[in-house]
Amino acid sequence: MINAGYPFREAVREQEYDPEVLSKIELKFAEQHAALPLRIENGRVVTLMADPSNQLFIDFVRFTYDREPEIIVASDLDIVWMSHKLLGDKYVKSAVYELLNRDPANSAFITFSSGQLIFMFVLLAVVVIGLVTSFKNTSIIINILISVFFLVAILFKMFLALVGSRFELHQAVTRDEVKDLKPDDLPIYTILLPVYREDKLIKKLIWNLQSLDYPREMLDIKLIIEEDDDKTMNAVRNLDFPAIFEVVVVPFHMPKTKPKACNYALHFSRGKYLTIYDAEDIPDTDQLKKVVALFAKLPSNYTCVQCALNYFNRNENFLTRMFTLEYSYWFDYMLPGLDTLDIPIPLGGTSNHFKLDNLVELGAWDPFNVTEDADLGVRAYAKGYKIAIVNSTTFEEANNEPFNWIRQRSRWIKGYMQTYLVHMRNPLALLRKVGWRGFLGFNFFIGATPLTFLVYPFLLGIFVCYLVFDLSTIRTLFPDWVLFMSIFNLMVGNILMIYINMMAVFKRRFYELILFSIANPVYWLMHSVAAFKGLYQLIVKPFYWEKTEHGLSKVNSPTNVVK
Amino acid sequence: MRNQSKYLLLVAVLLAVYYVLCGFYLNHLGYYSQEALFYMEKSNIILHGVGDKLKVMGLTAPILPFYSSFIFSAISFVPPPVIASSVCMAILFFLMASTLFKRSNDIFYIFILLIIFLLHPGMLYAATSGKSIGLVLVFFFLFFFNLLKFYRSNTTFHVSIASICLVILIFCDYKFIWLTLFFIPLVLSITVKSLNLGEQESIFRLHQSFNNPSLRRKLINKTFALYIILFILPIACIICYKLLNLTHAQDLEYFNESPYATWTVLADKLSFDSLSTSSVYQIPEISVLLSLKMIVFCPLILVAIFLFRDSTYQILTLLTPFALIEFLHIKYDKVFLPQEFYLMFVVLALLCILYRAQIVKRQGILKLVVGVLTLVQLVTGYIFLKNSSVSEERNFISMIESRAPDTRQDENRALAKYLNNLPKDSHVLIDDAIAYPVVAFTGNVRKLTLPYQEGIFLSAIEAPDKYDNYILLATDKNEVTGFTQLNDKYIPIITRANGGLKFRRVYETDDWVLYKIF
Repeated sequence: MINAGYPFREAVREQEYDPEVLSKIELKFAEQHAALPLRIENGRVVTLMADPSNQLFIDFVRFTYDREPEIIVASDLDIVWMSHKLLGDKYVKSAVYELLNRDPANSAFITFSSGQLIFMFVLLAVVVIGLVTSFKNTSIIINILISVFFLVAILFKMFLALVGSRFELHQAVTRDEVKDLKPDDLPIYTILLPVYREDKLIKKLIWNLQSLDYPREMLDIKLIIEEDDDKTMNAVRNLDFPAIFEVVVVPFHMPKTKPKACNYALHFSRGKYLTIYDAEDIPDTDQLKKVVALFAKLPSNYTCVQCALNYFNRNENFLTRMFTLEYSYWFDYMLPGLDTLDIPIPLGGTSNHFKLDNLVELGAWDPFNVTEDADLGVRAYAKGYKIAIVNSTTFEEANNEPFNWIRQRSRWIKGYMQTYLVHMRNPLALLRKVGWRGFLGFNFFIGATPLTFLVYPFLLGIFVCYLVFDLSTIRTLFPDWVLFMSIFNLMVGNILMIYINMMAVFKRRFYELILFSIANPVYWLMHSVAAFKGLYQLIVKPFYWEKTEHGLSKVNSPTNVVK
Repeated sequence: MRNQSKYLLLVAVLLAVYYVLCGFYLNHLGYYSQEALFYMEKSNIILHGVGDKLKVMGLTAPILPFYSSFIFSAISFVPPPVIASSVCMAILFFLMASTLFKRSNDIFYIFILLIIFLLHPGMLYAATSGKSIGLVLVFFFLFFFNLLKFYRSNTTFHVSIASICLVILIFCDYKFIWLTLFFIPLVLSITVKSLNLGEQESIFRLHQSFNNPSLRRKLINKTFALYIILFILPIACIICYKLLNLTHAQDLEYFNESPYATWTVLADKLSFDSLSTSSVYQIPEISVLLSLKMIVFCPLILVAIFLFRDSTYQILTLLTPFALIEFLHIKYDKVFLPQEFYLMFVVLALLCILYRAQIVKRQGILKLVVGVLTLVQLVTGYIFLKNSSVSEERNFISMIESRAPDTRQDENRALAKYLNNLPKDSHVLIDDAIAYPVVAFTGNVRKLTLPYQEGIFLSAIEAPDKYDNYILLATDKNEVTGFTQLNDKYIPIITRANGGLKFRRVYETDDWVLYKIF
């Protein structure tokens, strides 16, 4: 191009621009042509173009501005960056405020409603008054309530796990059904890849997605990069980037969260179906086809299909083993159990496949919620949509570093708290929408999860004091029958939870992990640390997105193969 | 299918009513099992007692049969344990029949089931005696049923349900903990079978797995995992239960060894006495012959073994109950095997037939064999029960035959009636370690000072005049007098310590003397 006489600029980001000029071009058009008129200089329109021979765009400039273009050749990535930064304002505003404007009751923009604050303070006051006036009786009541709640929650989980495990041989989609799909009938599939400072993983991610068994021309892959994420941008620039990948740059706007980025990319998505993968994800190669086959079989009110998630680096250290145990139990037993009993499913962070139309109708993800996936699952259920589970797994990288783990988990638990608060602003309305089963399921899953982790260290502490130091105060405070019940609950609860974890890895044939289930009480203490961090953040910075570092694993991820 | 279920449910309800009526009739004649009386007494304490009842509620063993009996405590025309056992047997019928309907629609086998449940003396005994046999059989059936399903499907669901059933089974009868022992070789066999190998013969598969490092690791991991999945729950539950015993009764084995917690302590003692004083040596009770005895008692088990002849580990599964009874005979050498261990073979045989009968091509011959053996089984059931070494079982048959009133509990009932008629404000010191039948028949336990009221009871033994007006002592004729302090040796000791105490006999039977305290 330089030889042809076109100036090539690398520092296009510093180019001056005229808002008047920019107002005459639409972002999608600029992005499509990888070209952007910036300003009028010396009677000519200074235009960035990746392909200066694009006559259609040159004609557009001539016709729109009534001037000849002054073409500056730039890399398509820089032009995309500039286009989104300069023209993406209305889209990013829509990504942030769409749900809030359309359905404020379901937005986490307000963390605590007035009613919730009043309820919490009244409850606190009642407890304090109770403790002051009758310390012993109030302590007994609190102990009984917590202990019964724990036991019921755990029995419920055990029941769900058994229901879920019953269908472990059930193939939602068989191999034959996948084979029977005709390539011509496959719809366009959008894959959103929200990445932030994932320069180390970007190559692997692209490699993994290229292995997907789906016609290339029917894939619409959006690599979503934040405006300030030069690391990832440079990593992408240095790659031999396949044409099916399209970069979407999210202009700066608070809150800087993954759901906001996904909402933004939604404006440019073309697919009939849409899914999200994280940077380190290795989906089963036939996953997209399985989802298409399953959607074809399901009634029209099924709007989302969730795949199982698991880890490829499970044997790396204690933390990855525990994480694998937890995920195996969650995705292989709990979610199928919820699915079978028709209870709202809190979606997993990635590998949830949506019908794009329905997703837009639902208001997409809540950018103020840091577990937007769980929130979306409940919102979809409340609107009468259903979620199915498919027999396909995406392998991820388990967090192998304790502080990184706590950061990630604190975000998840904070998100659960947010989701619970949002949907419990009007419990009666929620009950009417989701019915008793959904309401109890929601309370036991979304609500109980943070609560149990917050209370767990206190209960364990009391138990250890009772057992090790044989504190006479505890004996005088709680009568024998309360202690009996509490110890029974603690033991039965712990044993059942450990057993459910064992069942899950047994099902996955990860036999070497089975004994690690016994370490769950220690692992739950880490959850408690994360829960307190999450609670603190919920109060001081509710929309802050704790970034999880990926690519820390030293285990080589296997190439994805059809299981 | 739904209609069939309704129909089966109706039959099961009718069966339960039939059992309850039989139980009512036997009860009317005065028949009570020791176990039923024990549960009635404990329920009485929980419902009407005063004081700390937590230990009674939590540590009475076997705990699940006790709770199942407690559920029916509000009903008074038939003893609650009898209703519980009747319902359990009806549930067992329903489970078996519905299993059969799910697998085949052959009415012949339903007919066989009905004959056995209606006429087999052992089944009638299980249903109408108020014992825990019904509950044991239900979970024994579910345990083996889920194991068989696991063999077929290889799913975690079935193996975990089997494990949960094993837990319940152990809490219905602690002796079933030993069943785990015989699954140790079996689990290895199951794992070898489940490995993906070309070789079919079990021994060669084992050889191949041990000689290949990768397969060996897989075999060990899987075997270990299967052990854990199957046995961790029962073991953990038993440990927890023992810890609860330790924290609340200062004894890990309280539930198993204290006559306050379980009726089996006294029953075993009586069995031991009967065995050691018997002049005739019980030849059928010796090892190996015991297994043969089971085959004679339940010839249908041979059909079951025939149906699973192609699979080594499934045959081994069927043989575990044989190993269990042989082991129990050695471990508890002075205790006779009760009827539940005989009936478990009937249930197992029926389960195998229901599960596999449809694979046999010559259904006519199979049905003929099953029909004939069922009839034989009814006869052997009768003979075995009639000649049982356990006196309660013998009495059951002799009562049915003679239809004469059973007078064994008359003394206890008369004594309880006397206690009921005592003035309202009187208090009686009783040790229910051995006097539980008397307490069971007594309407108002508030009058009684019993060991569950720990502080009061111990003080009342030291100074009976300060707490009670009456005291019930066991005579030296009472077979279990050694299990209580309140026996004929009590008065000389207490009067030596406290010369001011005076006792007057107010009521006397062969086993008991009631004294008024002055």
